[in-house]
Amino acid sequence: MAEFVDPKPARVTFDEWLELFERVPDELIEQYRYFGSSEPWSKYLFPPQTFAIYGARHLRRLKFDNSLAALRMWGFVQNETERLFRARQTGRHVVATMGDLGAVPVIVNSFPGCVAFYPDCIWWTPFTMESKVLFDAAADLGIGDATCFSRAALGAFAKHSYFPDPELVIASTGASCDDYSGVEQLAARFAADVLWVEEPWRNECGAACGRTKSGVEYDPKTRDFLVVEYQRVVERMERLTGHHITGDELQSGVERANQVRKLVRRLRELAYSQPVLGALEMMVIEFGNLHYYSDMDEWTAVLEHIVGTAERRAGAREYVLDERALRLIWVTPPADPLLLTYVEDRGARVVGTEYVINQALEEMDESKPPLDAIAESFLAASLIGTSRQRADAVLDQARARGVEGVIISNILGGSHCAMESRLIADRVKAEVGLPVLEFDVAPPAREIDRQLQTRIDAFLEVLRSRR
Amino acid sequence: MVPSATVDRQTFEVIRQERVEELMRVRAAGTKLVGYFCIFAPVELIAAAGAIPVRLARGGQAERQAGEKYLRSDACVFCSACAGRFETDPLYRQMDAVVAVNTCDMMRRLPEVIEHHFGIPAYRLYMPRTSEPLPHRVAEFRRQLELLADQLGALTGKRPEAAGLSEATASYNRLRGLLRQADETRRVDNPLLSESALLDLAATAWLVGPVPAESLIDSVLRIVWARPRPDAKRPRLMLGGSMLAEDDLWLLDLVESKADIVTDILCTGTRWFSDDVGPGEPMAALAQHYFGRACMHRRPNDALYEYARRRAASFRVQGMIYKTLLYCDAWNFEARRLQEALGLPMLHLDTDYAHENREQVRTRVEAFLEMI
Repeated sequence: MAEFVDPKPARVTFDEWLELFERVPDELIEQYRYFGSSEPWSKYLFPPQTFAIYGARHLRRLKFDNSLAALRMWGFVQNETERLFRARQTGRHVVATMGDLGAVPVIVNSFPGCVAFYPDCIWWTPFTMESKVLFDAAADLGIGDATCFSRAALGAFAKHSYFPDPELVIASTGASCDDYSGVEQLAARFAADVLWVEEPWRNECGAACGRTKSGVEYDPKTRDFLVVEYQRVVERMERLTGHHITGDELQSGVERANQVRKLVRRLRELAYSQPVLGALEMMVIEFGNLHYYSDMDEWTAVLEHIVGTAERRAGAREYVLDERALRLIWVTPPADPLLLTYVEDRGARVVGTEYVINQALEEMDESKPPLDAIAESFLAASLIGTSRQRADAVLDQARARGVEGVIISNILGGSHCAMESRLIADRVKAEVGLPVLEFDVAPPAREIDRQLQTRIDAFLEVLRSRR
Repeated sequence: MVPSATVDRQTFEVIRQERVEELMRVRAAGTKLVGYFCIFAPVELIAAAGAIPVRLARGGQAERQAGEKYLRSDACVFCSACAGRFETDPLYRQMDAVVAVNTCDMMRRLPEVIEHHFGIPAYRLYMPRTSEPLPHRVAEFRRQLELLADQLGALTGKRPEAAGLSEATASYNRLRGLLRQADETRRVDNPLLSESALLDLAATAWLVGPVPAESLIDSVLRIVWARPRPDAKRPRLMLGGSMLAEDDLWLLDLVESKADIVTDILCTGTRWFSDDVGPGEPMAALAQHYFGRACMHRRPNDALYEYARRRAASFRVQGMIYKTLLYCDAWNFEARRLQEALGLPMLHLDTDYAHENREQVRTRVEAFLEMI
């Protein structure tokens, strides 16, 4: 079997990846395929250049992990649009899940021949493509500039070319952000069928509380409510597919999704204690828990590959970043991935995140009925509770990992950013005395604007001076 | 002549000021004041707990600026002004607690700001945003009402019970009915009751409470029925958009100097009193009523669209003024879609409470009215 021996861990540029890719044996390229297919179109192990040619120009400015596992990951992730169209062409049911960030795809993927995806994740596309075309399309439909970048999803619906028109949209809303709820409402006009699912508020509940696997307290009656909402999802999926799902199939769906969540937990443990992976790769990995980049089995294999690489590096104490780099927590995912490359270039590393997807990171309790387990894990969600609870999630990581500073990357006009950033920053400062840098991510551009560069540089200087 | 000058605005202001002073006196005597922000807050429950519900619906530029100490500048300007008023407004500072309903995201998060910075207990009432009245959703909302009843009971020492709720419901239903009568007077050509007068009347009526409001509304109705209507033919408009309150009346004055705003889809206007709480077991009836209320933030929001269509048709509307507040996503996003759905000319004004842009707004309003 042909092999590729990973070079000494490092972050490499776009051009350097091309050189490395030249050394990847053809047999390996043949080996990695999505949907378990043997068709020639199912290969995905391509260097970032491939995707830059097709529009992802921003990749030229990022720095990537130089392992084969990371290359495989990037190829797989960047290939998702093609994969969704292939899914449709090969007779799979393509279902758009929106808003809940992690729970509903567990149900959808339990149905044979179904592929769930999040249009929500299109919010990175304008940045990776360095283009405002999706924002312009959203503006034509009524959502202008002073809104979260998630409005790109509406533009993508209107364009009909970023993903296949879904047969069903399962739109979750409720105790969630206004921007995306508004996107869902306007996107409904493009959907053949929409099922609205309620995301309940996480009541504080005193003595009668249940606890998720990670210890988030919830009101059991709220979980029961959510189970009824998920039963509606099951019924609608049964109608769509004509398949009556069994308890075993749902249980298997939970276990498969949990396998992904366990692998990501392991990677968080590894990468946030020792710098075996960079922040960029970790962000892509964490967001894979949402919908597995539309192929759960292959994404699981990709993650296993990455875990192997990370464990090998941890064992050998070979790191991709300086072990002494400044330790940061990043709150709210940066729409512009270049920000992560930038802070790493400046001598910092991310050792904790609060990317508004706690629900997707939460493992499900496999001893419980499947819908109960899914509902319970959702109740760990970042945005359905108070800002104080969200701040506490940051504090827990800060205390556990010797964090030196917190970055909150906001979105101008983002409803939760506007209301909670200061509450979170205040609490972090008051409880652990950490410096907090808050900024708004600028619209898509080729580089980070100079003013923000200066602010980040000054912030890191402050952290350095506190050592 | 502005035909809407049925009741002097000063009169409303005097009545409200007297009521505020009265509220301070009754509070000093031990009655609790409970603030609420939007029409999804069940005033009947607050009243049945022995507290006085006070709608906190004021904006204001200075208050918005004060609020920016607590919120980012891209927060909904109404929420910012609310936060600012807890610092500056004597009435807001008198609140023993506030009830905030989980409507839009910003309103959902406002209570935390109030608790954190001003130490006022804030009761969050979770109401599903999804609007299909499925039994489990209405049941969940009813459960949340029970939780709120517990909190109000703990505040006042009197948990709302069925009899008290029935009484409060009947009382507020009477108030709603009277306000609907006032609203109905605007179906005719050249109505005497202007939109600004209606908003003033509604705000004053809800502030003084159902019983004193009856004579107030009755007086206004007598004036409207007694006075002759002018002959001039003026455009008939509908008003829609984010929460409009006293601080936005300048805009209405501007429009109503040349046109008649004959109806609205505002939460500070007709939607505040459009339907009564139905009969039946009081808490169940409350749950049905509030869950069923239309608003742009609900998903899907078809009911609000239907409400707008019905209003536009039955009040023979020729155009719409759609006034949104900066960073009010729920209403902002829907402007274009609503215009398409209604098929009416629409002027969309997206502003904060600043005074500086008023001449620009005047120009746009005048151009819009000329077009109609």
